[in-house]
Amino acid sequence: MSVDLQLAQAAAKYKNKQKIKDRFISVFIGIFALVWIFPIAWTIWTSLRPYKDVRANGLFSIPETLNFDNYSQAISRMDLPLYFWNTALITVPAVFLTLFFGSLIAFVVSRYSFKWNVSLLLLFTAGNLLPAQLVFIPVFKMYVSLGKAVGMPRILYDSPWGVVLIHVAFQMGFATFVLSSYMKTVPKEISESAMVDGASVFTHYTKVMLPLLRPALASLGVLMTTWIYNDFFWALVLMSSDSKRPITSALGRLQGEFVTDYNLLAAGATIAALPTLIVFFLLRKQFVSGLTLGSTKG
Amino acid sequence: MSDLNNGISRRSVLKGAAVGGLGIAAGGSLLAGCGSGATGPLAYGARSVDAGPTAQNEALLAAYTAKTGNEVKYNATESNAFQNNLSQYLQGTPDDAFEWMAGYRMQFFAEQGLLADLTGVWDTIGDQYAESYKIASTGLDGKQYFVPRSWYPWGLHFRKSMFQELGLNADNVTNWDEFLKMLDGMKKKGLIGFAAGNKGGWEAMGTFDILNARINGYQFHVDLLAGREKWTDAKVTEVFTYWEQLIPYMNTNVLDLEWDGAMQLLLQKKAGSMLMGSWFGGNFKEQSEADYLDLSIIPFPEINPANGRDTIDAPIDGYCVAANGTNNEGGADFLKFAGDIEGVNAILGAKDANGLPIPMTSANKGQDTSSYDPFQKEQLAVMAEAKYITQFLDRDTRPDFAGPVVGPAIQSWFKNPKDIAKIQDTLQSQWDALPPLA
Repeated sequence: MSVDLQLAQAAAKYKNKQKIKDRFISVFIGIFALVWIFPIAWTIWTSLRPYKDVRANGLFSIPETLNFDNYSQAISRMDLPLYFWNTALITVPAVFLTLFFGSLIAFVVSRYSFKWNVSLLLLFTAGNLLPAQLVFIPVFKMYVSLGKAVGMPRILYDSPWGVVLIHVAFQMGFATFVLSSYMKTVPKEISESAMVDGASVFTHYTKVMLPLLRPALASLGVLMTTWIYNDFFWALVLMSSDSKRPITSALGRLQGEFVTDYNLLAAGATIAALPTLIVFFLLRKQFVSGLTLGSTKG
Repeated sequence: MSDLNNGISRRSVLKGAAVGGLGIAAGGSLLAGCGSGATGPLAYGARSVDAGPTAQNEALLAAYTAKTGNEVKYNATESNAFQNNLSQYLQGTPDDAFEWMAGYRMQFFAEQGLLADLTGVWDTIGDQYAESYKIASTGLDGKQYFVPRSWYPWGLHFRKSMFQELGLNADNVTNWDEFLKMLDGMKKKGLIGFAAGNKGGWEAMGTFDILNARINGYQFHVDLLAGREKWTDAKVTEVFTYWEQLIPYMNTNVLDLEWDGAMQLLLQKKAGSMLMGSWFGGNFKEQSEADYLDLSIIPFPEINPANGRDTIDAPIDGYCVAANGTNNEGGADFLKFAGDIEGVNAILGAKDANGLPIPMTSANKGQDTSSYDPFQKEQLAVMAEAKYITQFLDRDTRPDFAGPVVGPAIQSWFKNPKDIAKIQDTLQSQWDALPPLA
């Protein structure tokens, strides 16, 4: 009896301790959540105030008016349809090509053993480590001189295809790495039976591996879409016409040369962030699994 | 509404030009004596997507097309992106003519062979510009690479109504003692005397420029920025000694405010004066016409009687022709028009969305200043008093020195003014460590 009581007491004590611990952790997480949400909340709050009000009363004043004027102005000044179209023109082909080429290499590297397959995988992964800022001048010069050589100066430079190409080249390393680690988790026996059944290499890839890769491709696709969507750098240095650049550069249109209306900019930033948010919430599951993809070897 | 009209008329002008292209082109070549021939279509790269400059550019292009029949493709890029990417832009597939800045920033690219020689343009329109503009348009090899469009002065800005309330007369603030007395009076009334923001790192360069020019003179200033004088010179120390006297009258959060934060202090009547380029007047105008009309500018006070108030920072904006463009001749022809009083008047005739004129102080001697507003007339007066024009520190010295070195150096001085000797040493050693210009 007394033993039971003691045990119960100990359990209660432990529960209590656990509760305090949980509470402590909750507070901790809460603080972090606040820290993370603060910039976003502040952006949205800022976007609802007219700059005139801020200029006259200061940043930390009680607002005189709150409205959506900044949004309607941002939409008209950013030329949204044009720049969203430009973004689509870059993002869609880039993501598909990256996934296609990445899966091809990953397939060969992980399913067939030949002398150089590990080195090949390393080579592609190592490409990831090069910072874009380091290679942009050579890439730029290459694009320009190639354009001169073929007599069409805008064949790669100042063309969405040039930007697509560089995104594919840059993202393929990561895609290959992730997809090959995923493929390694697929039992070898499946491949072996496919080969015994007489599947050619191509059939093996399209009919056997691709369907199995679907979840990995989906999550990688989501990740790639957000990355390429958010790119500003390559479009800036590899394009000279602003009217061809993606939505990220359209944000700059809200920033005047002399007058920077941060409230308008906040509204524009919120609008530009919406598509990635929508993609994220629709495909949240894939996104999270994408982050841990390849981290464990099943 | 009138903006809309403007757009329509421009379009119909273009259409008319397309239909009657041949006739006008022929007429153009007959009128070759006027300096404009048919040089074919060209592309123009604008360095702004703001409403005002866009309306001005459209008016200019429409007038040019109407006169010559040459179609101009208009490519506008937001100013920061344009500026950051200019090197690639000029090496790649640039527009034929584009908007840029005078002085060192132009020379830097001219030296690399990226800009086309505009000496021919200057032979035609040169007599419409004062000598100082020609100097600012000239590259290190003595040829012109730039055509000026507009400028704005850096001076001491204040609100007339505040001066009235404080019983101050701007005419009595001409030298350092009177200036300090004014600041002191403002401080006693609980006001910030000299609003300053330097979070961006470039804002305070204007203060350095003017103090150095007032104390040590124009020649020392340009020599220092060109590396012919040393940053460790006692004369530079003196600049910071004077500057330190202003600190008690500044807002305490200089490094937390960007220029617009300082401007807000002036707008909200919390600060009495501010040294800044007059371009910020657009903000006052946007706030309300009354605020804009209340704004006033005087030259920065004299410090050393030997120099008086003879120097001013007045950055000049204008145009260049890209050497790698497809139609250099067309670009030059366009600039001949843009620099001529005819083109200048087309720009000055542009109206904003409310049908009001867009304030711009032109570089052309022949400009009609009668339509200028009082604030613009004051800018002209401030400019007229100056004998020497400088472009602003970050336009007058190497780009890899101004932003990365001088900016942070002044910021660290604000943190601890006693460190001045160390800061001067750093400035000089960083200058010495710069790679030679190719």
